[in-house]
Order: sequence, then C-alpha cells, then structure tokens
Amino acid sequence: MSDLRFAWLLILPGVAMLLAVVLYPLVRSLSSAFFSESLLYPGREFVGLTNIQAALGDDFLRLLWQTGIFTVGATVLPFVVGLGVALALNARLPGRSILRGAFLFPWLLPAVVVSFLWMWIFDASYGAFNGLLQQLSLIDQPRAWLFDTSTARVALIVAKSWNAFPWVMVMLLAALQTVPDDLHEAASLDGAGKVRRFWTVTWPHISGVAGIIILLEFIWNFQHFDLIFVMTGGGPAQTTQTLATALYDSAFRSYDLGQAGAIGILWMIVLLVLVVFYVRFSERSEAN
Amino acid sequence: MGFGLFAFAPVYWLVITSITPDSQVYRYPVTFFPESVTFDNYRSVFTDPEIFGWLANSVIVSVITAVLSVATSMYMGYSISKFRYRGRRTLLYFVLSSQMLPSALLLVTLYGVFSTFGVLNTYFVLIISFTTFTLPLCVWMLKGFFDNLPDDIIEASKIDGASNWRTLHAIVLPLAAPGLVASGLFAFMRGWNDFIFALTLTGPERQTLPPALVNRYIGEAATDWPELMAASVLVALPVAVAFVALQRHLVGGITAGAVKG
Repeated sequence: MSDLRFAWLLILPGVAMLLAVVLYPLVRSLSSAFFSESLLYPGREFVGLTNIQAALGDDFLRLLWQTGIFTVGATVLPFVVGLGVALALNARLPGRSILRGAFLFPWLLPAVVVSFLWMWIFDASYGAFNGLLQQLSLIDQPRAWLFDTSTARVALIVAKSWNAFPWVMVMLLAALQTVPDDLHEAASLDGAGKVRRFWTVTWPHISGVAGIIILLEFIWNFQHFDLIFVMTGGGPAQTTQTLATALYDSAFRSYDLGQAGAIGILWMIVLLVLVVFYVRFSERSEAN
Repeated sequence: MGFGLFAFAPVYWLVITSITPDSQVYRYPVTFFPESVTFDNYRSVFTDPEIFGWLANSVIVSVITAVLSVATSMYMGYSISKFRYRGRRTLLYFVLSSQMLPSALLLVTLYGVFSTFGVLNTYFVLIISFTTFTLPLCVWMLKGFFDNLPDDIIEASKIDGASNWRTLHAIVLPLAAPGLVASGLFAFMRGWNDFIFALTLTGPERQTLPPALVNRYIGEAATDWPELMAASVLVALPVAVAFVALQRHLVGGITAGAVKG
C-alpha cells in the first residue's frame, strides 16, 4: 500500500465520526433556523427569516449581554488566580510537584460536583459562605446568593473560576519554565524590582501562551452550560440565562427547533469571529 | 495564602460535610469543624441500588469511550504527524475547531437523529458522541507525541522490510504508550464528567452518575446535602486516583503544544 493511501486510511474512521456526529448535526441544526419545526412532530415548513427576526428581538441583546458578562468574568478571574498560583509555584519550593497536583484538583471534578459543592457553599441557611461572612461580621443576616438577581451571576462566576483556574495555572507554569534564569539574574543585578522584572522579563516569555489561554477560555465560557443549568437553571428571573441555556430551553423545553436554530446561527456568527482571532493568534505565535 | 484558601477550602467543605452527622450540618450559625464523624452518608450511597446502577453505567460508558477514542485518535495523530499530504493542515484545523462547537447546538440534531433510529437511551449514543468530542484533544496530544518520535526509527523499520501497518503497530505504538494512556485518561474523564449529553440522550436506566444525581437530589424538596456530598466524593474519586497515578504524563499532555505554540 502506498504511503499516501495508508495515511488516508488512518484518518478515515475519525473523520467519518466527526462528519456524522459534528458536521452533519451542525449543518442540520443551523438549517432549522429557516424552518418551522418541532421536536414533537415530524416535518418542517420553510419560514425564511422569521425565526431569526424573532430571536433578534430584545431578548437576544439581553442574552448576549448576560453571556458576555459571564464569559468575561469567568475568563478574567481564573486567569488572575491561575497566574498568581503559577508565579508562586514557579519559585523553587520543596514539594512543588505535589502542590501543583493538589492545585489541579478543582479542575478534575465533574461539573455537576462543582455545581453541587458551590450550591451548598452558597446555601441560604446553612451555607459556608454565609457562615464565613457572619463570623467576620460582614453580614448579619444570611443571604440566598444564588436566588438573588444581584448576586447569582457573580456566584456562578466564582464557582466557574474555581473550576477553571487550575488549567490556567498548569499552562502558565509550563510557559514560565521557558524563562531563562540568567535573564532574571541580570535584571536583578541591574536593580529591577519584582514587579519590574515580571513585566520586562517574565511577561514577554509567557504572553503568547497567555493569549491562547484567554481565547480558549473565552470560547469555552461563551458556550458553557453545565454549571449554569444545574446551579441556577438560568434564574432568578432569567438573569443568568445565556445563549447556551436559552438554546437548550428552546429545543428541549419549548420543543421549538426553529427558534433553537436561530439562536444557534447568531451564536455561530459570534463564535466565528472568535475562531478567526484564535487561528490568527496561534499562527502568529507559531511564527515567533 | 489567599489563593490556597480559595483553592482548598471548598474541597475541605466537600469532604467534611460528607462525614458530618446531619444534626451538626444543619446548625445555625455554621460550624466549620465537626465535633463527631460519621460514615452513614457513604453507607446509604453505597447501599442504594439505583446509585450503584448509575455508577455501573458511568464505568461502562467511560471505559469504552476511552478505548475507542485512543484507537481512533492514535491513527489520526500518526497520519497527521508523519505523512505529508494535501489537506493535512485543513484537517488539523477542522479537528481542532470541532471542539469549539457548542454542544447544546449539536445536541438538538443528534437527539432527532438518534430518536429516528430508535437508539435513544442506549450506551451506544453516549459512547459515540463522547468519542467524537474527545477526538480533537486526543489527536492533538498524540500528534505531539509522534512529532517527538525520530523519523529514523520508522525509516529503519521500513528498510528492514516491515510494512506501514507493522511499523506502526510493532514499533511506533509501543513507544507512544505513555501518550496513549494519557489521552485515554482524558477521554475517560470526558465521559465520566459529562452532564448535558447524558441528561438529554438517555433516561434513568442508562444514565451516568452526573445527570442522575442532579435528577435525584436537586429538586423541589429540600436537598440532603451530606448524602449528596458523599455521592459527589464517590463521583470525583476515580478520576482523582487515576490522575494522581498518571500525573506526570497528564500534565505534559495538557500543556503539549501550548508552549511550542
């Protein structure tokens, strides 16, 4: 068998699966946007842009805004925490690899376990968070953090950040190990302080990886489903609803595939812009 | 310090709640250190036939997903790494970008298709969907592994008269064993941790632990938190143990490619 034939044969099973379970459903779901179609009955009727117009109503901007807040918050917070832990662990501590392993733990937990745990921590009567704040005398009455329209979103971001920072940490730790020690030494000899050394020596070495981390986190958070669905179900008063949970609700609660497809189309447009950024970015850092 | 507290306090709370007697858990104000310890919560989780059934489903689905993912992605990774052909880069980008697609969107059609073929509520639908979603990362990890393998080994084997198949199976794959194990564990974790697919595509009989526990504990009625925490520890444990055993390979796998760009 020729090498070329062999090479193609090897990718065949994987490509076939991706086409069947990813590409076909994607095209089919998006095309639903132009039809009136229900999950309950067979058949579809062409309706043009009606679904998209409906999805673009006031609701879409609100959903996009809520998705954006969650995405930005759940990207920035774990990045800051992950960077802090990575810098701390990059020092030559004894038992560093054990610590690194321990810090990865929150990332290993299934999303539902993360959800359960933080629902319990934020519990209105017996939650640890209320208990802590009361012991520090910061509040006198326990609050229902997840059922309060002003705090539910932040509570979700905190839970997601706890789950996500270890991945950021381990990626940045790998990048930090490429920073040559003598550069640091030279900079200290020149009298550069810690902060200055970080920006002039460390940051240029890790900024490429940092960019990829932020973009990937952004893309993942944009479509995040599990934590939101389990912890708040989009509530209270729809304030934590995102494009992902709204799409799920359209399809599996209202059985309206046309509406789900329309949200999907709008979503893909936003996602496509992100992916273009990602490809550009990774090509640029590959060139360096 | 602050970061350490943020990272570990919730884990402490998870474990402590699971071994605290109910009388001390539901106390106001909250006590952070229990006066006594009980394993009743674990006992009721382990003796619950329903939970045991979901646990078995989780094991079956995740193990088969891991095996199938490794088998498929090692061939793809090898092909992309060691052969030069048209469309190779496009293929790599297609594979990578497929992991960025929102699963909620794909689910809608998958549900319809699986329902038409009458295969909803089977292990098959979970395994086939999980495997497709683990492929991108596994292919990426294994491509990295094969990239680091010197071409000379492959050349030498071919000069000795071995076919492409034989070279791959007898020479290359044994050398890539650590990578195969690491990517297999990733696939296992994906199947083990998934929520949305198992929730939507299967009913209670074929469901894995994550959606089943949500349906079981998070409802209208008051949640039995200590027992739910014990069940959560049960779900988290296999992955944690496997991870500790394979930590070195896994961390290499997570960061593979990132630093190189």
